[in-house]
Amino acid sequence: MSRTAMVVTGPVEGVPRITGASSTQARTTISIRPDEPVFAGHYPGFPVLPGVCVVEYAHRSALVTAPKSLLPMELVAIESARFISPVFPGDELQIEVSGCHDGGHWRCEALGSTVRGPAAEIRLRYRVCGGAR
Amino acid sequence: MMTIGEIKRLLPHRYPMLLVDRVVDVDPGVWLTALKAVTVNEPWYRAVPDDAAEDQHDYPVTLVLESWCQAAAVLANWGQPDACHGQVMLIGRVSEIEVRHPVLPGDLLEHRVRLVHTNGSVLVFEGETLVEEEVVLTVGSLILTIRPAQDLTGYRGRGSAELVLTAPGK
Repeated sequence: MSRTAMVVTGPVEGVPRITGASSTQARTTISIRPDEPVFAGHYPGFPVLPGVCVVEYAHRSALVTAPKSLLPMELVAIESARFISPVFPGDELQIEVSGCHDGGHWRCEALGSTVRGPAAEIRLRYRVCGGAR
Repeated sequence: MMTIGEIKRLLPHRYPMLLVDRVVDVDPGVWLTALKAVTVNEPWYRAVPDDAAEDQHDYPVTLVLESWCQAAAVLANWGQPDACHGQVMLIGRVSEIEVRHPVLPGDLLEHRVRLVHTNGSVLVFEGETLVEEEVVLTVGSLILTIRPAQDLTGYRGRGSAELVLTAPGK
């Protein structure tokens, strides 16, 4: 089964921009716009980015920073996600992404932060469907 | 059976992030089974082009998880009148979330949540989500914290990054 790599559905509308890269890790930046649709209901009168949306941004960051030879790849596990501090409308969310190839899987660690400090630590696992599996 | 009005009294979430439609069975303080119907009319599908491949209609894994977590929050708040007044539900940590099968529009998610530990404001759950008796997602562990909203509003002004989500027992 080969799932499509490009994400077109999801609870977020921002797009991760690659703002740093080395041989071992990359950094993305997402501007959290106050008009993200989820804020209307999470929560009314008190907008805070749902933790799963931080995971969604980590997932999208993992996809845009993964070696192209691995694509497409399919998310098969959220090994862990720890939420340390909230993300609010108007924040710049930075995500440091590092990954390693592990026998048909791509394991990814994503560290999210805002101006207030660490926001989340997330570990994702993908099944590699591309040529380099 | 618990319907939408009652769910709204237990959860602060609202459109488009209220992702539990019905509670079908519960043993308060122990376990709960809830339903969420997935439809292509949800806002997440707005940007999907008409010629998209079938798998581009997969319901986002993150929203299957959010929906499951909300079912857990219903169990957490069960029997507490006016539970969401002045409170926010926050996910402290999730681990061992395994994606077994894609979810598509038309699927009816059946969330099964079990409370495995609590010390009051911190609750630990496990469980799974099924579609037509097939497991689509397993949740090894969810740590949920229920906090006064003012903790977070106060947090914004302080500019300090610690303790808001990490030490709810204090």
